[in-house]
Amino acid sequence: MLHWFKRRRQKPKSYRTNEEWVMQLSAPPEDEAVAELRLILVRGLRSSLSVYVDRDLEHFVEDIAQDALLRILGKLDTFKGESSFASWAMKIAVRQGLSELRRKKWKDISLEDLAGMGDDRNRNDIRSEYMTSSSAEPDQMTHESMIMKKVMEMIENELSEKQKMAINALMIEGMPITVVADRMEVSRNTLYKLVHDARVKLKKKMMEAGMDPDEMLREL
Amino acid sequence: MIQAVVMTVPDEIGCDECFDKLNEFAEMELAGKSPEKALPLVADHLKKCGECRQEYEALLAALEELQG
Repeated sequence: MLHWFKRRRQKPKSYRTNEEWVMQLSAPPEDEAVAELRLILVRGLRSSLSVYVDRDLEHFVEDIAQDALLRILGKLDTFKGESSFASWAMKIAVRQGLSELRRKKWKDISLEDLAGMGDDRNRNDIRSEYMTSSSAEPDQMTHESMIMKKVMEMIENELSEKQKMAINALMIEGMPITVVADRMEVSRNTLYKLVHDARVKLKKKMMEAGMDPDEMLREL
Repeated sequence: MIQAVVMTVPDEIGCDECFDKLNEFAEMELAGKSPEKALPLVADHLKKCGECRQEYEALLAALEELQG
């Protein structure tokens, strides 16, 4: 039993060069190379995802490694040799695993839920507590809440509906970009660019309004 | 959110470009080199994108395990 356990826990050692990996995994892939890569992925995933998975880690890691293997084999021609093959393959598996965890965690929550569909908040409004932060008069408000109010007004007036929806989900509600991109049916990269354009616009508007972004940051 | 706006610069890279370089960046880090100097746009993206940062940290943990 102990012998079996030790054998099972042995570190997978790879002596393949990058070129050998690519050659042996190219269609039709060699069984031995696929099995070795799978062992590498499982070992790396087990270590990197253990902090995020609270039960049945082994089963989860096996599933992710299997999915990642298919993805890696399908993307083999995009490997350019800028690192070891194992590092390249591992990054694909790690993203696969973390994306799966994010999707599971948020699977029952839609963007409409976040924007307040079902209650009396407007669908695309930034959360109302930021917009109407208190019943106090402006001069009674803290400096911080006034800055926040101004920024929220800029968001409301300057950004597109898509940008508002994305900023609400990502920056206010904390939904992961992977999940928001799925819900908006765009790639994660496209969503990042959409929000980047929004941030550029907001920063420009702040400066035009005489708000010094660096000073604001210090005050906040 | 204010912080994210203030830190914005025009020439940021997106998640895809960051992902393309992540393995290279991680190997440099593990080799004790300075990836933030060699690949400053990747370093900048990792500061701003929580998910790419999480993936990078997980990749480092995985590669450390494989090296160990």
